[in-house]
Amino acid sequence: MPGPTIDLTIYENEETLLAGLRRRDPDACACLIKRFAPLVYAQALRLLGDADEAEGVLQQTFIKACEKLDTYEGRSGLGSWLYRIATNEALMHLRQHSPRIDLDDVAETIQADEMPQRLKPWTLDPAAAALNSELRAMLEQALAALPETLRVVFVLRDIQGLSTEETAAALGLGESAVKVRLHRARLRLRELLAAYMQEH
Amino acid sequence: MTCEELIAHLSSYIDHEMDAALVAEVQEHIAHCRNCRVVLDTTQRLIVLVHDEGRRIIPASQRSALFERLQQAFLNRPQTQSQSDQHSSEDSAV
Repeated sequence: MPGPTIDLTIYENEETLLAGLRRRDPDACACLIKRFAPLVYAQALRLLGDADEAEGVLQQTFIKACEKLDTYEGRSGLGSWLYRIATNEALMHLRQHSPRIDLDDVAETIQADEMPQRLKPWTLDPAAAALNSELRAMLEQALAALPETLRVVFVLRDIQGLSTEETAAALGLGESAVKVRLHRARLRLRELLAAYMQEH
Repeated sequence: MTCEELIAHLSSYIDHEMDAALVAEVQEHIAHCRNCRVVLDTTQRLIVLVHDEGRRIIPASQRSALFERLQQAFLNRPQTQSQSDQHSSEDSAV
């Protein structure tokens, strides 16, 4: 079945879109989903590392958004608002479905096998190169390979751009634990991406 | 400062969370150590790379069904308390 077809320009701005949503206008609903579902899904997937779980969080996010729509004041922008709900939903999901934690994954020092091994410069300059689909796939694969304890901190700090303090509060961790986990995640990701980055 | 010490403090240096005295030690070390210079440079590149990581597109095969479900959930959402109150006050006004 084809997805809902809709002209995304029907709503001039977020205010008119929001008014449509509050009237339960089906077009407004389709517009909201089309515009923001990819953003929400991407964030959920990065945090959870699993497509099915990310889809569940995506649905949960929009359902939560429905419930809160009438109290949403529109100060932060719909995208940021949904992004925040998605992050909270994903973190709640992680807490509820916490897998067996490997002690190495929560170690608060660098592990011996995390010391850098690949010591060639990277030829690709990320600041100049647009993130192509191959590189994006490599990055997502490397992120998914990180243990959850490190991945979540990395996503919130280096991708989402939260501060150490905000990340610590979101995860219920101390700030020093956030710093060490972020550092370990960076070292591991650097190692995982090095082979590709040295050749491109 | 040894290579191990530098690696242990690399993120503090990158994130500008390091004392000035230690910063000077790091800079002195990387001026002479090619390997640590590479690790610093590539870690910084990694951070730039992911910073504005773009939106991932949901696979087309999943999209239609997912949008359909989301839309149904959205349209069938229950009335909130404030809406109910509003309706009842409108009713009473009539």
